[in-house]
Amino acid sequence: MTSREFSKTRIAHKNSRVDLNKPLNFTFDGTSYQGFAGDTLASALLANGVKVVARSFKYGRPRGIIGSGAEEPNALVQIDVGARTTPDLKATQVELYDGLVAGRTSGWPSLAFDLKSIGGNFSRFMPAGFYYKTFKFPVKMWPLYENIIRRAAGYGKSPIEADTETYDHKHHHVDLLVVGGGACGLLSALLAGRSGLNVLLVDDQSELGGYLLSMPNVNIGGLNAPAWTTKIVDELRSLPNVTLLSRTTAFALHDMNMIQAVELMQDHLPHSARNAELRRERMHRIRATKVVLATGAFERPLVFGNNDLPGIMTASALTTYFNRYGVVCGNNVVMMTSNDLAYQGAADLTAAGVKVTLVDNRENINPEWAAKFKQLNVQIYSGYGIAEATGSNAVEGVQLVKLGALKNVVTGSGPFVACDVLASSGGLSPTVHLFCHDGGRPQWDESRLAFVVSANGRANAGIYCAGAITGVFALQEGLAKTKDTVAEMLSSLGKTLDASGLTLTTDEITVIPARHIFHVPDGKNGKGAKAFVDYQNDVAVTDIQLAVRENYRSIEHIKRYTALGFGTDQGKLSNVNGFAIAAEALGKTIPEVGTTTYRPAYTPVSFAALAGAHVGDTFEPRRYTAMQNTHEKNTVEFEPVGQWMRPWYYPKPGEDIHAAVNRECLATRNSVGMLDASTLGKIDIRGKDVREFLNRIYANAWTQLAVGKCRYGLMLDEAGMVMDDGVTACISDTHFLMTTTSGGAARVMTWLEKWHQTEWPELEVYMTSVTDHWATAAVVGPKSREVIAKLCTDIDLSKDAFKFMEWRDGTVAGVPARVFRISFSGELAYEVNVDASYGDYMWNTLLEAGAEFDITPYGTETMHVLRAEKGFIIVGQDTDGSVTPFDLDMAWAVGMKKPYSFLGKRSLARSDTSRSDRKQLVGLLTEDPNFVLKEGAQLINSSDTTPPVPMLGHVTSSYYSAFLGRSIAIGFVIDGLKRREDATQNTAYAWADGKAVKVQIVSSVFVDAEGARHNV
Amino acid sequence: MFNSTQFNPVMQSPLHHFGLAAKQEATNSTKGVWANEIPLLGYISLRGNAQNSAFTEAAKQALGTALPTQPCSMVTASWGFILWLAPDEWLLSCDRTQRPTLQQSLETSLEGIHSQVVDNSGGFTSVLLQGKNASDVLHHCTVYDLNALVADKVVGSTFGKTSLFLHQQDDGYKLIFRRSFADYIWRYLERSALPYGFGIATLTSKAG
Repeated sequence: MTSREFSKTRIAHKNSRVDLNKPLNFTFDGTSYQGFAGDTLASALLANGVKVVARSFKYGRPRGIIGSGAEEPNALVQIDVGARTTPDLKATQVELYDGLVAGRTSGWPSLAFDLKSIGGNFSRFMPAGFYYKTFKFPVKMWPLYENIIRRAAGYGKSPIEADTETYDHKHHHVDLLVVGGGACGLLSALLAGRSGLNVLLVDDQSELGGYLLSMPNVNIGGLNAPAWTTKIVDELRSLPNVTLLSRTTAFALHDMNMIQAVELMQDHLPHSARNAELRRERMHRIRATKVVLATGAFERPLVFGNNDLPGIMTASALTTYFNRYGVVCGNNVVMMTSNDLAYQGAADLTAAGVKVTLVDNRENINPEWAAKFKQLNVQIYSGYGIAEATGSNAVEGVQLVKLGALKNVVTGSGPFVACDVLASSGGLSPTVHLFCHDGGRPQWDESRLAFVVSANGRANAGIYCAGAITGVFALQEGLAKTKDTVAEMLSSLGKTLDASGLTLTTDEITVIPARHIFHVPDGKNGKGAKAFVDYQNDVAVTDIQLAVRENYRSIEHIKRYTALGFGTDQGKLSNVNGFAIAAEALGKTIPEVGTTTYRPAYTPVSFAALAGAHVGDTFEPRRYTAMQNTHEKNTVEFEPVGQWMRPWYYPKPGEDIHAAVNRECLATRNSVGMLDASTLGKIDIRGKDVREFLNRIYANAWTQLAVGKCRYGLMLDEAGMVMDDGVTACISDTHFLMTTTSGGAARVMTWLEKWHQTEWPELEVYMTSVTDHWATAAVVGPKSREVIAKLCTDIDLSKDAFKFMEWRDGTVAGVPARVFRISFSGELAYEVNVDASYGDYMWNTLLEAGAEFDITPYGTETMHVLRAEKGFIIVGQDTDGSVTPFDLDMAWAVGMKKPYSFLGKRSLARSDTSRSDRKQLVGLLTEDPNFVLKEGAQLINSSDTTPPVPMLGHVTSSYYSAFLGRSIAIGFVIDGLKRREDATQNTAYAWADGKAVKVQIVSSVFVDAEGARHNV
Repeated sequence: MFNSTQFNPVMQSPLHHFGLAAKQEATNSTKGVWANEIPLLGYISLRGNAQNSAFTEAAKQALGTALPTQPCSMVTASWGFILWLAPDEWLLSCDRTQRPTLQQSLETSLEGIHSQVVDNSGGFTSVLLQGKNASDVLHHCTVYDLNALVADKVVGSTFGKTSLFLHQQDDGYKLIFRRSFADYIWRYLERSALPYGFGIATLTSKAG
């Protein structure tokens, strides 16, 4: 009793990891409490005697803390407030800091009283699958049901304020990743580190040691566990080739041994100690040649009546709270176990003066423990089980029953034993999750009563397993086998083991076999108290039995019908019990039933950690042209085009987009405008076969194009559908410069390389992207020649010397430039290309030169209007991968007579692509010149919209044309090319927003069909 | 009316808008990561068949050094660097004033030999990354294993959601990337370096 002076529930335990000299204040659900440095929120709450921390999902039953780590199903809490608030953390994993504010996430209206608990009295009406059964009809009512169910279900709230903290990712490439910092993980890392491997060890706890932190009284090689751990960790820290990461949970293992782990970097610190320049969380993406999974095991609770009462926990949790945190969860402990593993904790508690009563399901218990407990004067009920716990808001006692020696049935009555805390152990379930993420499966080991994985079962994939994950639960055996496994792993890398100075023998009592028992019978044939398997989803034994009665056979189906193993704990405590209970109900063995599928993530991961540095202005690459600095000096709206940020329009004060675009259009058609066209893809193509290469890549012909001239080309895919377009210039007989759409450049480059490398390697051509090298200013409008003439004296700009669809090299504003006389607007236009380093200078010099003509910078919106007025398509807007050149009325851009085939040619002869009544691109005019059709509007034949309505096509582009003083549109209409010529057929209706608007089908060229404007 | 004497062409590097020159300082121990743009170098893209001795000989003639043909290798020449990008593709970087001569000499030498020589000077820029945490910050940005990035090795790899070329230089690294992605890459580098302290280093070498 000497050590129990501190308080009723907290002792000054010599091996406790809690510093009683450092008290910390915190609040939970509005009440202030005190804990200590080293506490988790769970240990601090237990030390303060807080038993009810949550209300259950379905029945609103009061729930307490059951576990001590990632397995905790009940104690889901809301941590912190405001922008930092985090929902549904497990109190068992939250490190306490001074000023921590924690809230409940369930219990409505309060933890003390939950409305659902009234429903709990009617629980027989809420069996497995009750959602589907009860709330299915009438269908119309589902939204209402859903709203109520969601509110009643509880769980935490996401922050609604923007996150003020930062997160990142870090990539690692290591020889060996060890997952787990318990005894076997530490030993693995040490042996591999000694051999010179580049080793990374990750562990989810605040401190290395794993379960050794919970069993300080065991001796390893003559040292007690804390001393042994310190010795190993010290040596690990001295090795420069070993990195240790605490508070880091490996949550996914992918193919090729890529492991993702999330590190909590600052959440354990009080707000005042957090550094804004450091990350809150970091995601580690680890590529490891070899992996050792030393992930340990979780203790399974036994399943019995009212096993969800607050005060009931796993034996290992009770032991951990005592040994690691110095917390005595009760003064009158009952421990039920089916195995030897709970005994050490019971002994430790007894030694500290806590009254312990043991209930061992086995008739014959381990004689060594029996002798020891006899000495300690501890009562052991062997061959008994707990039929039912009693109590209202906390456990007050247990009713024992005598169990059959061979079968798990009740053979007699037993005593009632009062208690204030109840712990149970049904054995250990190895943490096999990571092993299974990329396809591995655990095997049932009846001798260990566990789904286990073998130490070297996936050695050929580089994955080794050590310790409890392999079903080796005794420490000495685990350490010895770990050494052998690491030796095997090292030898596969040509390294030798150095285990010098490591004595791996322990003073554990040798274990005897456990009893095969999961659900402790109560003799009441399903009519007794509810016995929960999955706490977080309120799945009881009877629910699993019901699912089986309703003929669910596969464990995957039983899981989904009952919700077994769902939730934020992913069934870490419940799954194996559930499999075993389902097996019994199905009359099958556990291996016949098997397991459900373990999928990432092992524990919940925040979206912020997943996003890392991909946030804010680095969320996605934004590509800018060389003129961006000048664009930003104006009032300008940007539009993303692929990853490019392009000026959309340049509003003057008071202008909306329509006013700005109207002004920009008129200025360009009447005087001169300027567009930043730098984003167009540009590909330099050279070689003696360049013309033939282009003949095959493009639909039209390139053999005759003279040096100095340009041509528009349509690029088709193998199916004959338009995939890109652009103007390509002949620089010399062996040198062409191709332009592509802004968004299609990379795709086209890959396309060219693919066809050259795989199908036509005999063609001598090379291609290089020069998209970023050239900055392009398109000077557009009747005054464009005068603007260029002011800056350029070495190119003859006269109409006949420099014709439409030609290019010239020269000097513009003192800079070497390549000038193209091409036009996407139908106006006289010059596109000035310079080394992008001069792009901003060129743009500004052109603005200056054009000032006397009120040169007007315009963006993509005006570009769209100008080109639509001319009926020019935009690939991707007016085409969608199902459009041939003929559908676009662009037969002129297809060279069917070329001697060698071109991509897509054969497909153009298919019956479907060659029929004449396909959807074809036409112009559309409304009766009301001010009515602008909606892009995407369906085109139909009549104003009668009573379904079914045959679809003719849809509007692809629609604008108001200030130049024409009316709206214009283009779109696809079945047989449109014929219909536009036939006055009896040229009416259709555009249907959008519930209205069918009459349109006339016309030519898609609205302005200057004869080309007079650019031929000047 | 303009006349040619009025023109005063000004070049801007892709990272011009960050005003790095005005922020630079001599490196010191207060920051773990130091970087700066090596602005306005000359870049030439070269393609040709490395199996064709006529091509490699002609290139060697023009460049004064043999092209690196081992995958991911690079060569330091008197005028700059030759980076192997692909079995038939190289990137040359040099002082910008040397670019026209170098390009001309390549084109002359490769006359009649299947090849491609392209001025890409406007399309690229380089950043020198140094400091005791230079490798750490790169491990946040790229999936490449920097332990494998030995001297005279150049790799193309990911950087955030885009890509760049990377090699060792001056006790640190050189990052070579496209103009249009420069803003993103610099911001991503800056963001990633925050925990280590990020400074703009005065360029001590020409580093072309």
